Amino acid sequence: MANLVWMQTGACSGDSMTLLCAERPSLESLLEHAGARLLWHPSLTAETRFGSVLDAVTSGREPLDILCIEGSLMTGPSGSGLYDTWRSRPKIEIVRELAGIAGSVVAMGTCAAFGGVHAAPPNPTDCTGMQFMQATPGGLLGPGWRSRGGQPVINVAGCPAHPNTMTKVLAMLLEGTPIPLDELNRPAPFFSSLVHQGCTRNEYHEYDAEDDVLGGRGCMFFSLGCRGPLTPAPCNVDLWNGRSSKTRAGVPCFGCVSPAFPPNRDLFETPKIGTIPKMLPLGVSRAKYMAYKNLAKAAAPERIINREMEP
Amino acid sequence: MARVTVNIDLNRVEGDLELQVDLEDDVIADARCIGTLYRGFEQILIGRAPRDPLVITPRVCGICGTAHLYATVRALEQLGGIRPPTHAAHIRNLCLMAENLQSDLRQSFLFFTPDFCHPRYAKHPLADAITASFTPFKGRVARECLQVTRRVLEIVAIFGGQWPHSSFMIPGGVTLPANGTRLIEAQDLVSRTRDWMETCVLGDDLDHWLTIERAEDFFQWLESSPTVANAALGLFCRFARSVGLHQLGCGTGHLISYGVNPLPDGSYGGFRPGFYDADKSQVESLDQSRINEHVRHSWFQHYPGGRHPWQGETIPDYMPGNDRYTWSKAPRYDDKVVQTGPLAELRIGGDPLIADLLALEGDNTWLRQFARLRRAAWSIRAMRETLTALKDVLDEPHFADPNIRDWPDGESYGMIEAARGALGHWMRIENGVIDGYQIVTPTAWNASPRDSNGQPGHWERSLIGVRVEDPEDPVEVGHIVRSHDPCLVCTVHFIGRGRRRYPCA
Repeated sequence: MANLVWMQTGACSGDSMTLLCAERPSLESLLEHAGARLLWHPSLTAETRFGSVLDAVTSGREPLDILCIEGSLMTGPSGSGLYDTWRSRPKIEIVRELAGIAGSVVAMGTCAAFGGVHAAPPNPTDCTGMQFMQATPGGLLGPGWRSRGGQPVINVAGCPAHPNTMTKVLAMLLEGTPIPLDELNRPAPFFSSLVHQGCTRNEYHEYDAEDDVLGGRGCMFFSLGCRGPLTPAPCNVDLWNGRSSKTRAGVPCFGCVSPAFPPNRDLFETPKIGTIPKMLPLGVSRAKYMAYKNLAKAAAPERIINREMEP
Repeated sequence: MARVTVNIDLNRVEGDLELQVDLEDDVIADARCIGTLYRGFEQILIGRAPRDPLVITPRVCGICGTAHLYATVRALEQLGGIRPPTHAAHIRNLCLMAENLQSDLRQSFLFFTPDFCHPRYAKHPLADAITASFTPFKGRVARECLQVTRRVLEIVAIFGGQWPHSSFMIPGGVTLPANGTRLIEAQDLVSRTRDWMETCVLGDDLDHWLTIERAEDFFQWLESSPTVANAALGLFCRFARSVGLHQLGCGTGHLISYGVNPLPDGSYGGFRPGFYDADKSQVESLDQSRINEHVRHSWFQHYPGGRHPWQGETIPDYMPGNDRYTWSKAPRYDDKVVQTGPLAELRIGGDPLIADLLALEGDNTWLRQFARLRRAAWSIRAMRETLTALKDVLDEPHFADPNIRDWPDGESYGMIEAARGALGHWMRIENGVIDGYQIVTPTAWNASPRDSNGQPGHWERSLIGVRVEDPEDPVEVGHIVRSHDPCLVCTVHFIGRGRRRYPCA
């Protein structure tokens, strides 16, 4: 058995609610078959006293194998951490203490990973992520910090984090399977495809059939702020709630797994240079992309131009 | 008389909740709700593009983000003079009902009933049945609830792409139309949810259950067969009433609801909005201009009386050593303390059974929780009706482009009935960007502190006079507070800053 403590800091509970939606595997399955023992979850455990759990793990009576943090780490006001407390104690202090004794530490969601929505300007709470402040290494614990198991904080980014990514990462930790990390310490196996891959609007993108008004069937990359072609996340290869994804439903990808989420600009508009997005699909050169788009537009069949295909 | 102050922190609510109660001979003489988290959403929104809250405000709350999205889109549509197509209104309503149903079921069987498994009740005659049904992750109802709520939320994903935190409601409609395939899939999910509600929760036909209109008939029904008595609702009711939850936790009698399933013509497909004045025992029409917020007992820069959200200021001003004790504001309706949630929604909307039970026993812990499960049944039926109505407008557009490049300056509001009750967003646009955004959440109403007139908030009032058996482990307080389905993450005004002692009166 491996003891798991899930702690919320500056959070909306969205990652917890999403965790309950995980199916492959489900949280129940992790508890039943994968050897997880949930010592504490603020919404889900019968235990009503966080203090007794805190005592048990800090005294060493119970080992703390996996620590999950959900939420931004509020350091304000003036570095005191008093914007987010438990029994008058800054949560950031408790997080530091628990991280120091945990076998592995997982940041569940973009808030715990990078600061997230609460770190958007003007960052009223002086919040940060566990080991990153947006894209800059550091955060609450500092860039050099390592868990008892020798790893940095695993950043299961996403707002919310993808349900099955959360449970799969936990399953891998429970099994002792090594988890390779990308340059932002995200678990690489789950951040190695783009949101664009598997998007059912792909054919529209191929032929440069771009929408400039929401509610349509076309691609949303050129005008409507969609970041699918430059955002690594499993949204369209492992569908949300087993059914769909934002881009399939006509909602732009806002890049919520990215350290800069939410970007400080109109979220429904794509910044452009001329008629071409300022940020291109990952790794693409501007000149070649423009040439390709011109050709693609010329090759577009009527059924695409007329938006006949259902995404 | 010895007066001791006890600090209580509660889990199985959304977010962090700390309470401070003063006990006199084990009876609560005074209570104060303390929010311990400040997140600064209203500041983050200032200066942003008018549509950005469609992405930002769902993230206020992971359990009711669809309701925040709905409030935002209504505020934008009011500002832009936009009337969404009926097709879009039905999709929005369907998805919000799915979210509320999910929340009602999770709150009941994952957050509330686990308290019945407390060691204090180990010798209760129903203890074995309770344990078998409600133990977290292991009890039959608890486990099935996880599966069923997962399924209900698939409805939001079908139309909105994902749950939580989608932004599929946009000024002028929704991003994706319904079609035959999506309708059939959604219908199937509703039918399966209904089956579960009937077999596991009610032990009876849902339509039949909703025809029960009098308290007397309800209590008879409860004992009418072992199937009914041992289903989740029967078990919940019999246990809760046997330990006196129907006599516990009476707060304010005034109720507020913002109305269910708004339609483009301004009418409501579901329970109507309104204010129930307990002094007159009558429902009045709702007037948002009568809502105000007080800061007399909060650590904000003082202003006399209450202010409407458009006039509101949120200027933190920490003042220790006096009778201010919280960072939460106190919303009031006509300066009255009100409660909100399913009980208010159903009473104002005219559910005869809820009206009868309220008249008979007053508001109480059992009734608030019972009303939540009653609403779940109404939601399932209304979801089916909405899908039928949606089928009739499939050929109509799901989106009418409002053609607004530059949003006009002005003030507007969006009000909606979220899972926990009345949710309002008040917005001000100036020079094309957001100049002010105030969110008054259901929990802000319920968990409010004292106001300028010294009236305690609803929770505070519902705790006063309660006898606490074991101050170290105040099970009664847990029942009462959880029956309000608290959502502290939502209560965005809360700026926690540690605890301070409240001078004893």
